[in-house]
Amino acid sequence: MVEKIVEINHLQKKFGKVQALEDITFDVRKGEVFGFIGPNGAGKSTTIRVLLGILRASGGSATIFGQDVWHDAVAIHGRLAYVPGDVYLWPNLTGGEVIDLLLKLNHQKHSARTDALIKQFEFDPTKKSRTYSKGNRQKVALIAALSTEADLYIFDEPTSGLDPLNEEIFQQNVLQLKQQRKSILLSSHILSEVERMCDRIGIIRQGKIIETGSLDEMRHLTRTVITVQTNEPVSELDQIDGVHNIKEDSKQTNKVSFSVDSEKIDAAMELLAAKGIVSLQSTPPTLEDLFLRYYNNDSQGVKSDAQ
Amino acid sequence: MHNSNFKQAGFLTRFYLRKDWFRIIVWLVCIVGLMGVAAGKFDSLYGTKSAMKSIVTTLKTPAMVSLFGPFTAQPPYNSALIYAMEMMVFMGLFMAMMNIYFAVRSTRAQEDSGVLELIRAHGVGKHAPLIAATAELFIINLFIGILEALSLIAAKMDGADAAGSWLFGLGLAAFGFMFGCASLLMAQLSDNSRGATILSYLVMGLLFLLRMLTDVQNPDYTWWSPFGWIEKLAIYETNNWWPVGAMLIGALLMIMIAFYAQAHRDVGAGLIVTKPGRKRASVVLAGPFSLIFRLERISFIVWMIGMLVLGASYGSIFGTVGDIMKTNPMMVQLMGGNAVDAANRVVILNFASLLAIVFVVMSTIPAMQTVMKINGDERKGWLEQIHAKSVSRLQLYCSYIAVALITGVLGLLLGILGMYAAGQSADVHISLDRFLQAFYGYLPALLVVVSATAVLAGLLPRIQTISWLLPAYGFISLYLGGLLDLPDWAVNLTPYGWVNKVPLHNVQWDLALEMTALALILFIVGFICYKRRDMVEN
Repeated sequence: MVEKIVEINHLQKKFGKVQALEDITFDVRKGEVFGFIGPNGAGKSTTIRVLLGILRASGGSATIFGQDVWHDAVAIHGRLAYVPGDVYLWPNLTGGEVIDLLLKLNHQKHSARTDALIKQFEFDPTKKSRTYSKGNRQKVALIAALSTEADLYIFDEPTSGLDPLNEEIFQQNVLQLKQQRKSILLSSHILSEVERMCDRIGIIRQGKIIETGSLDEMRHLTRTVITVQTNEPVSELDQIDGVHNIKEDSKQTNKVSFSVDSEKIDAAMELLAAKGIVSLQSTPPTLEDLFLRYYNNDSQGVKSDAQ
Repeated sequence: MHNSNFKQAGFLTRFYLRKDWFRIIVWLVCIVGLMGVAAGKFDSLYGTKSAMKSIVTTLKTPAMVSLFGPFTAQPPYNSALIYAMEMMVFMGLFMAMMNIYFAVRSTRAQEDSGVLELIRAHGVGKHAPLIAATAELFIINLFIGILEALSLIAAKMDGADAAGSWLFGLGLAAFGFMFGCASLLMAQLSDNSRGATILSYLVMGLLFLLRMLTDVQNPDYTWWSPFGWIEKLAIYETNNWWPVGAMLIGALLMIMIAFYAQAHRDVGAGLIVTKPGRKRASVVLAGPFSLIFRLERISFIVWMIGMLVLGASYGSIFGTVGDIMKTNPMMVQLMGGNAVDAANRVVILNFASLLAIVFVVMSTIPAMQTVMKINGDERKGWLEQIHAKSVSRLQLYCSYIAVALITGVLGLLLGILGMYAAGQSADVHISLDRFLQAFYGYLPALLVVVSATAVLAGLLPRIQTISWLLPAYGFISLYLGGLLDLPDWAVNLTPYGWVNKVPLHNVQWDLALEMTALALILFIVGFICYKRRDMVEN
């Protein structure tokens, strides 16, 4: 049995009459990076704030390390590191002071690792916080969190203000944590980041988790795009159930591209093989395809076939 | 205007007024209401000849001069003259506070929040925002000034004429505007809004003290302090208009310097530059308590020095205050030397009892500010990372309360000690124990007000600022209460009113104990509310 670090069951949160979280259920297992994706306002940060005991759940349950996130907040926080989505710092403290303070609040010390991180991120810790840009404020929180010795790391859109170089440094550090069997909850809408780092993904929409699983499992639910050139024309393709968006290449003969439901790939391949394949290129769906598919559905209210 | 530096100033002025309209109305109702209500009451207060005579004698004592300014009018006296003398300095104080508030709000606070950057990125002239802030202040003051004058005319006090009432209103407007412009300048010097507010209050405080000291020595010297100019209007006497001119010139001068300063700096920067700081946190900065203390450090120091100076300045006039011979030579002849000493002692202690109210209300202010930061800092997003650490809410709550109480209690103590120390120069010797009665007496009131603030902060974070009504009303009801002859229940509305006259009398220990217990309960209630709710979303 896999050890579950975070367990959330049918979590709900109401702000007055507004139902911010309707039904959130997912878990984060030991040693994995869990990607938490969804558009702005879907409830990612609210979920995380409930997990941190900043907000009180209206229903359902949430535990970290098997302890209740509201009642045992302090005990949980001793083994946890967090980077908020918007980092606000005390304007008259320097970045260096804030980093040290955040470490001390968890009874830890500025270590060689802290210095290494400051160097990696090319961060100037002597400036007053009010002079830092968004990216630099984020670096403060990241350096403090990454140099904290913890079992669970929660990042809420940690790279939204970072340039690609720093984003890369962040990703490397997270992968290192993963190698040390740490658990990571990464909320993001930078899909390439999630795709690259996450073992499993949860998709949130309007306060509900609508899908969880590994990227592979999710791909299974969607379509692969295939571009193929055959010796003989393949006009029967449209008779196969599950094949969509057939487009014939205008320049080359017998070249066609289409998308196919994962469970129908077999049937499509049999047909193509019979026609003599010259070249074949298959593109697995990206997370972006998945994401858009879910959200287009969202805006239209029904599953669309326009892919 | 052709100069593109001023483009859109008119639009921005309207925008600023719209953004602040509710706050403007609140200040307006408070200030004009206070003036009108007091004016309506004065005829009944000092209607009789004997009442008039006794109040004039009181107002001529150095103690009253230090608090309200000199009474220079010649007989025959009337209630309008007394009103003008009692209210002028006092209302000036409120006008200056209002102007500091709006001046910082429309300049440096806009810059702090980044709104100014958005505005300046549009087709808006470089100087337009500052022009708009100045225009906003001018309009607010003019409007309030006119309403003040109208309320005085409507009150129809005995001896009040329209000319005097207009001068009163417009004089206060010009006075407020001058302090507003000074604050606009401070907003250029400091690179954050808190610093700008502290600097502004520092300037106002120093000018107020200078006015007090010169008034007691020789009112002619009061010209040295712009705060004293307001006394020179001689309302309902000679109706001097030209101090108004001096105030406007002063305002203009300050605006010019402010514009010059603004033209020579970047958005977000101040002339007082923030230097780079420590690379690593000191050993001391290690938990929520030391963090909050560190953040409040500057304002803590400023408040403590301020309270000490305030206390010392009042104490330094004890010699003059406690000299009955000066104010009433007849009495000395009637009484023996010992009796005079005793009488002087009573006069000083009476004065000190009134000052104790000033000190306790003043020291409540920073304490309340700190308590309310428990939500203010939250809204700024500063605490989100703290919540994710192994810091309990109890620890966080207690840290804010502790810093608040240290500031408040120490402030009160320093005010009283300053008064005692400087009061040593007087001929009449009064022991430290006697003065400390004021400290023990008013400390529980401070605790109750701060704990009531904590309950509001815990229960209703969005409207926690209404707790300012306690010290504001408490100050008005007690400082002016004696002169306005307020009924007991009206004085007892705030905890300050429950306390007896200390240090003139002894502390009522049982009451003090009860009030302290009440404060403790309120602090606990505040915590329970705070612990059970969501943190404020920013």
